[in-house]
Amino acid sequence: MNTLEIPEMDMRQTEGRDIIRLPFGLLGFEHVKQYTLLTNPEEEPFMWFQMLDNAKRAFLVVPPFRVAPDYQPDISDDEVDFLQLSSPSDAFLINIVTLRGNHHATVNLKGPIVINRRTLIGKQVILNNAAQYSLHHPIGAA
Amino acid sequence: MLILSRKPGESIVIDGRIVVKIVRLEGDMVKIGIEAPREVPVHRQEVYDEIQGNNREALTEHRPQLPRALTRPNVAAEPELACAKGS
Repeated sequence: MNTLEIPEMDMRQTEGRDIIRLPFGLLGFEHVKQYTLLTNPEEEPFMWFQMLDNAKRAFLVVPPFRVAPDYQPDISDDEVDFLQLSSPSDAFLINIVTLRGNHHATVNLKGPIVINRRTLIGKQVILNNAAQYSLHHPIGAA
Repeated sequence: MLILSRKPGESIVIDGRIVVKIVRLEGDMVKIGIEAPREVPVHRQEVYDEIQGNNREALTEHRPQLPRALTRPNVAAEPELACAKGS
């Protein structure tokens, strides 16, 4: 079991219409396996993780280190093998944000989406240390 | 629900490819070993249910406008700025 220390992401590497494949889908959306990541400078550091086959449906996501600088996700060896992550810098993490009204949002720190930057294959992973983190971590409180 | 009695060390086989083994009993805990092909995700149910529910709640349609508090000016920038001033 390793604690991956993942460097700050480079937004450009995943910009554009690259297809991100999630062989297992997201939990609760197992049948949706292809996504694309949309960015807009005005919305930075947030991005939209959009379903490829249903362009109106998307999840708001954020690189976790931008909203939780002390985040230390512990990803199991099985997940590292599955995603073929040969070094921590291969991993690109995004976490799902829930908008709650006009002023408030929370981010799920228990189950990040881990994407291999080289293969663009990803998986929503339940962290080994999920118990340490909130499913509804508050962000951007005004 | 099918209910089977098993002793520690005994297993059950599901679909000829998934083996669930009762490893040992520790007080009121049961240690279970699961051997499943890589394409079969295995989760603790309560965590799975929680994250699945959160995903459903988070799904948006037509990419709504973000609350201003989120993007103003940058959520992560403030603590870094505070450190720089202190040093």
